[in-house]
Amino acid sequence: MENLLQQLLNGITWGSIYALIALGYTMVYGVLKLINFAHGEIYMMGAMAGYYAAHALGVAGTPSLGALLLVLVVSMAACGLLGALIERVAYRPLRGAGRLAPLITAIGVSLLLQNAGQLVFGADPKFFPALLRSEELVRVGGIAVSNIQVAVLATALALMAGLQYVVRRTRFGRAMRAVSYDAPAAALMGVPVDRVILGTFVLGSMLAAAAGILVGLSNPKIDPLMGLMPGLKAFVAAVLGGIGSVPGAMVGGLLLGVIETLVTAYLSSTYRDAIAFVILVLILLYRPTGLFGAPQTEKV
Amino acid sequence: MSLLEIHGLSVRFGGLSAVSRVDFEVEAGSLVALIGPNGAGKTTAFNVVTGVYAPSDGSVVFAGREIGGAAPHAISALGIARTFQNIRLFRSLSALENVRAALQGARRSGLRDVLRLARWRAREEAAGREARVLLDELALGEFASARADSLPYGEQRRLEIARALATRPKLLLLDEPAAGMNPAEKQALRELIRRLRADHGLTIVLIDHDVSFVMNLCDRVVVLDHGEKIADGPPDRVRRDPHVIEAYLGSDATVAP
Amino acid sequence: MRVRSLLAVGALLAFLALLDLAAPRVLNPYYVTILSRIGIAVIAAASLQLVNGFTGQFSIGHAGFMAIGAYASAALSVYAGAAALDAASQIVPLTAARWLYFPVLLVFGGLVAAVSGIVVAVPALRLRGDYLAIATLGAGEIIRIAILNIDAVGGARGFSLASSAHPGIDLRYESLAGVFGVAALTVATLARLVYAGGGLAFRAVREDEIAAESIGIATTRVKIEAFLVASFFAGVAGALFAHSEGYIHTNSFGFVRSFELVAFVVLGGLGSLTGAILAAATLTALPELLRGLGEWRMILYSLLLIATMLLRPQGLLGQRELWPISLLSRGTK
Repeated sequence: MENLLQQLLNGITWGSIYALIALGYTMVYGVLKLINFAHGEIYMMGAMAGYYAAHALGVAGTPSLGALLLVLVVSMAACGLLGALIERVAYRPLRGAGRLAPLITAIGVSLLLQNAGQLVFGADPKFFPALLRSEELVRVGGIAVSNIQVAVLATALALMAGLQYVVRRTRFGRAMRAVSYDAPAAALMGVPVDRVILGTFVLGSMLAAAAGILVGLSNPKIDPLMGLMPGLKAFVAAVLGGIGSVPGAMVGGLLLGVIETLVTAYLSSTYRDAIAFVILVLILLYRPTGLFGAPQTEKV
Repeated sequence: MSLLEIHGLSVRFGGLSAVSRVDFEVEAGSLVALIGPNGAGKTTAFNVVTGVYAPSDGSVVFAGREIGGAAPHAISALGIARTFQNIRLFRSLSALENVRAALQGARRSGLRDVLRLARWRAREEAAGREARVLLDELALGEFASARADSLPYGEQRRLEIARALATRPKLLLLDEPAAGMNPAEKQALRELIRRLRADHGLTIVLIDHDVSFVMNLCDRVVVLDHGEKIADGPPDRVRRDPHVIEAYLGSDATVAP
Repeated sequence: MRVRSLLAVGALLAFLALLDLAAPRVLNPYYVTILSRIGIAVIAAASLQLVNGFTGQFSIGHAGFMAIGAYASAALSVYAGAAALDAASQIVPLTAARWLYFPVLLVFGGLVAAVSGIVVAVPALRLRGDYLAIATLGAGEIIRIAILNIDAVGGARGFSLASSAHPGIDLRYESLAGVFGVAALTVATLARLVYAGGGLAFRAVREDEIAAESIGIATTRVKIEAFLVASFFAGVAGALFAHSEGYIHTNSFGFVRSFELVAFVVLGGLGSLTGAILAAATLTALPELLRGLGEWRMILYSLLLIATMLLRPQGLLGQRELWPISLLSRGTK
């Protein structure tokens, strides 16, 4: 029983990482109807940015909450900028060019970031500095809860809550929702669609960067290709929750994390990566619009 | 027995009733107009007959067979062809290719063609000739190699008709064939429709907004409004029907005196 | 007309024979490998073009079918082919036996891949556009991971084309004639398929599915057919790859490879067989030939992809074909 709870805790921890990345996919899809294949690489860049920032700012050797927050902020800012740059240069010119061209461009950007990353950062894995000294905080029953896990969960939840606030309570969030329902109508109503889309990319990238830092905390080995699998899986999570739906991405991410952890622990670990895709296939077969999505019909 | 019989047809999308308990019949060889204000359910009715939507209630019987809910390609094989309100040509293909795609042979498996080495060339040429004949019949001969989306608007509409005819249908459904045309073009279209019906032995149902367009053309007029049938009969009678006049008041259609 | 095509085939055969005789003597083995890889890339790209370019379906997991063809044919060779060749070599010269076996292994790889193509296509084709793309991506990954977990074909260590029970039998084929002959056959078949007779159905489905249905084309069946044929030839390409490299690992068949194939098809022009061939050949050859470009190869690809989408989205040739395929494509106009 304790093992189950322990696994659930691990699952939720991983799931919240997936959720943070999935949110970026889902928000961009919501406003642009584009699957931003490059998003996983933003997550990777977040981890890399954190690594370099920690060393540059001299906090790599001095773990503390403050160090973590500092690195988090720097990385999120850097990746927000990167996301904005990508949108501006690669996607915006293709607005209105159909669905295929932006998708292919996204694949191109993804490949570019991976390979440029290998070139610039070196293909060998790096060790993310321990920004928090790992210690076991509590033992509830037989479950060990480390401070790192608490940090990851707390940060992720805080960010998700923050995002919910932005989406539901701010003008920007309203504008974002308007654009995702009906971009031309929103434009006619005076919503600055271009800026909203840019802002969406920035937000999503910031969340992905945070995910990268949190992963660096808990699994310190980072490399330029680390974005591939989590990127794909987070994407599956977004589809699971209903692509375009913000609560869907959160729920989808958590669900995926839990299912993956449980299956790995109780069934087989060699198929760990396959689980996400099996879920993907099942979802697409039986409920392609996901848990929170709405079906669409085509007018003839 | 009529060629096409529609009994108690209803089509619902979620809470919206696009078509409600509509009955009408189309005799073989006749030319029927389906008219009504915007949103009356005319195109929806076409979509059900051609299999794009399944009926929520009621039945559609073609040449004695129930076809409600059947797949569009199967219905096409039975002998129903159509054109679309918002022209759906194969845009990057040439006019000739658009028509050829609809010929008998195109519907068969391409795989089998690969294995058949000897006679394919002869069949290719025969298909090409047949397609050209159709193009010429609709005065599109000079556009055979041109991309479909490079054709002028009126020619595109005629190309869609040529493509529909290539399937050798018994029943031809034309959805707003005269949309966007000036009076001279409409007159030419009227002539064309009459000629096609005579030359190909077709039964034709056409949708149009323009009541005067259908007046001198059709044997019978069926009027829909808000998904329900409000009139059905010869043009002269329908034109004077008070329900019809009321339905059209305020719309941008014309009711000729 | 007939005489001309016979002459053309004859010339091609002569050229291939010459290639096999001359190449090992004239060319550095490294270049022979590159040429071989070009031929394989051409087959894979042409097969993908059928689905993405001609039928308008967005499939981005094509490397999965290559993987199946590679592993299936490799398994056949190691577990059955070697024994068969050993036995046959008692009666006929080994070289002859190997040449007889060559088409068998290719067709086997292709057929197994084709079956997997249907298994993927039937459920996946219920989806459209982005969702279909995701489904094919997922399928490709599932295939790769599944193969990774099969010990009998090496699992994570990779699979070597050598039979321990029959060590004297060479299962590798280093014949350029074989690769290019198959490539020519593939391209000819695909060109016939698309540009003759029933092939218009593919493009009709690409242009407008609803209109295609309205003229009697069973669109789902056409799409499945496209997947079937495409995965068959992808399997053949995979089989060729396995038997020319002599060692395979699932790392060669991940979604990076799938994306490469998509790049070939898009950069060449969606809807142009010649375009896909040219792009596949150029983009496979270029990085190999330009020394020191190794790490930059994928950066080159990705920049080219992005630039093409931004500046010339129709790719190199758009939907046009060059000679000799244009002879077929213009035949229908």
